[in-house]
Amino acid sequence: MRILNQIIAVCTINLKSLPQRFWLSLSTVMAVALVVGVLLAFLAMAAGFQQTLNGTGSANVALLLRDGSQQEVNSTITLEQTRLIAEAPGIVRKPDGSALMSAELYVIVDAVKRASGLKSNIPLRGVGQDAPALRDGFTLVAGRMLQPGSNEIIVGQALTKEFAGFDLGQEPRIGGVTWKVVGVFAMQGSVFESELWADLPVVQGLFRRGSITQTVRLRLTGPEALAGLQGYSDNEPRLKLKAFSEKEYFAGQSSGTVKLIQYAGWPLSIAMAVGALAGALNTMYSSVASRSREIATLRCLGFGGFPAFVGTLVESLALSLIGGLLGTLVVWLLFDGFTTSTLGQGFTQIVFSLSLTPALMVQGVVLALVVGLIGGFFPALRAARLPIVAAYAQG
Amino acid sequence: MNDFSIVLANLFRAKLRTSLMLVAIFFAFLIFGVLAGVQNGWDNIGNSGADNRLVTTNKINFTQPLPISYIDRIRAVEGVEKVTYANWFGGFYQEPRNVLVTFAVEPETYLDIYRSDFALTPAAEAAFLADRTAMVAGAKLAEKNGWKVGDKIPLNSNIYTNKATGKRVWDFTLVGLLEPVKEEANPNFVLFHHKYFNESVTFGQNTAGYALLRTVDKSVNAAVAEKIDAMFANSPAETATDTEKAFNKAFASQLGNITLIILLVVGSAFFTILMIVGNTMVMAVRERTREIGVMKTLGFRDARIFRLVLGESLLLALLGGLPALGLAAVMLGMIRQLVALPGLELSPPYLALGLLFMLALGLITGLIPAWKALRLNIVTALGRQ
Amino acid sequence: MGALIDIRRASKRFVKGRETITIFDKLDLVINEGDFVAIMGPSGSGKTTLLNLLGGIDRATEGEISFGAARLDQLTEGQLSGWRAANVGFIFQFYNLMPMLNAARNVELPLLLTRLGKGDRARRVQAALEIVGLGDRAKHFPREMSGGQQQRVAIARAIVADPKMLLCDEPTGDLDRKTADEILSMLQLLNREMGKTIIMVTHDPEAARYASRVLHLDKGRFIEQGAMA
Repeated sequence: MRILNQIIAVCTINLKSLPQRFWLSLSTVMAVALVVGVLLAFLAMAAGFQQTLNGTGSANVALLLRDGSQQEVNSTITLEQTRLIAEAPGIVRKPDGSALMSAELYVIVDAVKRASGLKSNIPLRGVGQDAPALRDGFTLVAGRMLQPGSNEIIVGQALTKEFAGFDLGQEPRIGGVTWKVVGVFAMQGSVFESELWADLPVVQGLFRRGSITQTVRLRLTGPEALAGLQGYSDNEPRLKLKAFSEKEYFAGQSSGTVKLIQYAGWPLSIAMAVGALAGALNTMYSSVASRSREIATLRCLGFGGFPAFVGTLVESLALSLIGGLLGTLVVWLLFDGFTTSTLGQGFTQIVFSLSLTPALMVQGVVLALVVGLIGGFFPALRAARLPIVAAYAQG
Repeated sequence: MNDFSIVLANLFRAKLRTSLMLVAIFFAFLIFGVLAGVQNGWDNIGNSGADNRLVTTNKINFTQPLPISYIDRIRAVEGVEKVTYANWFGGFYQEPRNVLVTFAVEPETYLDIYRSDFALTPAAEAAFLADRTAMVAGAKLAEKNGWKVGDKIPLNSNIYTNKATGKRVWDFTLVGLLEPVKEEANPNFVLFHHKYFNESVTFGQNTAGYALLRTVDKSVNAAVAEKIDAMFANSPAETATDTEKAFNKAFASQLGNITLIILLVVGSAFFTILMIVGNTMVMAVRERTREIGVMKTLGFRDARIFRLVLGESLLLALLGGLPALGLAAVMLGMIRQLVALPGLELSPPYLALGLLFMLALGLITGLIPAWKALRLNIVTALGRQ
Repeated sequence: MGALIDIRRASKRFVKGRETITIFDKLDLVINEGDFVAIMGPSGSGKTTLLNLLGGIDRATEGEISFGAARLDQLTEGQLSGWRAANVGFIFQFYNLMPMLNAARNVELPLLLTRLGKGDRARRVQAALEIVGLGDRAKHFPREMSGGQQQRVAIARAIVADPKMLLCDEPTGDLDRKTADEILSMLQLLNREMGKTIIMVTHDPEAARYASRVLHLDKGRFIEQGAMA
């Protein structure tokens, strides 16, 4: 109890004297805030990218690719294979008895980024009428669904924000053909929001693919039906396809980019943190120096060395905590939800939003506190060991 | 004793404080140095292209092919000196993660157009042209995969099946190693015969992935590009022709706004040390008020006092910054071994920028305390407890 | 009354560079309970070092220092802290108040080292401030007070935990004559009415006149001892 009283008294004295060292303390707070800000911006980028891809996956939807293909773009599936798949077990069937599935063609086309004015790769997906039913969370936010057999396209909401020329009612030219945007769809920020959708036979015709598609999506009766589907494909020599659940497919697509962003973010942040740490140590040593008389006076009064130690540490932690929270707040205000895009593994742009999750905020604040802890520890030791005679120092 | 020794003595009187500031400055300039190198590599992606080289792709997107018949029609365009073409093979070696940049090319024209960038020995070139199942690879790439000239290399394609075997493993004989001619060239890829490709694939025959052409002079670039694109307008495969530089830059920019990210990080790092060093210098000079008063009493002029304080902050910035740029150069050299991006180095303009930043840091952080020292009144300075 | 402080053959030496500086050598001193002792002497005579030894904030190189039954030279740092909290009140030349705390909270600081509850602490603080005549200034901050008032707050802080002994280092060194006399009268009062043993280091012969016993220290030796007033 008495030691607690002492600690509280010393902490109060330290924190109340902060305004005397306002600029120096502020520089520590800012330094920590910037370190945390940089780290969180990178991590929010990685998290946003991952969320976009993970948010895309459903365990109840299976995706079939040619065996050996990791991406849709280099897979091929023939019409005959598609017909065989429709007979597979474990597929949800519509009232008329046909399989709920969608054979799709995925081609890469150019679009101009609004921000840079530069051409970038975006996916044009040829789909059938059941494509929306195979995607959880699909909603048309504007306009209507495309008409089969027409040059109509519907576009993902994220894509229209990032690329010019695909607003509702606009008529973009792709491959010498004029298309008309008749609808905008949303899908909870998933990868599909970075796509253009058109009628499958129209796309096959334009790109001279005959009846070839690249993927078949189908709705499983349950996640456990995936193994049966793979078994069916393995036992049919004409198929040789690989069945993924959509969830595992997209989770596999994200790891490389996410790791790259994290590998860039952490070393940079740690290098910056060392710089900030030097600043924090500097601030805290000055703090101890400027309070040496107060500390020594308290020791004369009978206060122990431990409260002086804790008091300094608390001051340092308080400064870095403020910095950490400030950095988090700035990233949250400026960058959370900030939309950007990068080249995904399918060789097309994936539009994603930076996402500052609570878990990331905790990482940022922990980094700040580590800086505060180390930055306060050594000065705190000095505070505790300060010769008491210093109280007499002229001043 | 001269002024410099006074500056040194002042700087290292508080050894701990000075060391901490040096550490902060060191890390800020280390970040600057490494990221400036990355930026330089990034800038270089576009610049490695020659001025008079153009790329013609399918207008829909460069991943869409062109009919091979287009090549001869492009060759006939006035102002075009040489045309070659290449198809993306989707190659990987042994496992899908080990992706190899692999192109099926028309060998004579391809090697000719890039002769100023990279080349084979004459013997290797002859061997390559003679054998349609031969391949050549960048020397570093071959070394990394443990290949030697004469080896049979099975390359996988994630796109194409070889008609002859029914498998997506294609066998090639490595007959030569591509060595860079220009320092910034980086032949980090595999080339093989388009003829062999064309007769063996199960689909996509008689297509060229893209056409690469050399004009007679860069002044005709725009006219040539316009002529080619006009020639194929309203055909099933319209084209888009651009300089190789612009094409490379646009492709690189698809990764994201790397420059903006670098700018934000470097800006944050510098703002941090500006705050830390600036405040510490103000504090350090304030502690010395009495001494400065004494120096003025001894007859030191105001301007000299000003220079002494400013010299101290400049020295601090240089002592922290210069070794950091040195280490950054070493680190960039190590990274260059790993990722083989030729421009990954501290180029003179960025080096100069780094030095400029050091001077700016020294001046900005020293200015306020130096001004305060200059304005210091002797009586108050000495009277102050 | 009996001896409160007994110093026997105490020496204090510093090593500075290659030199060993002897502050004093084999010093003996006895101070009785209830004494008001002034220690005088020129700068560097060892006055303050002696005061530091008496307050347990510095240690003798050799010799014994007893306070009642306690042997200060045998206590650990932690034990000395506890001993100081219970037995010693310090009064400094420059007051050494915490600038960010008001008068009452400054005075309360030593009580945080006791087992007293909040209410008891507040009553003791108020009583101490009344004794020094600042009962109405409890909420004032040091910067809002004159030097004399600040020193009175420091005295209140020194007596609030009811220590046996007050150690004063040039308590009037920073004050004008009139204020100095007020402070010295107050110390005299604390000595006579409350029985505090007071040891005061001072340059000022006028200040020394308030003491019941004056010691002159020069080059580490008492050259004269006498009682005044």
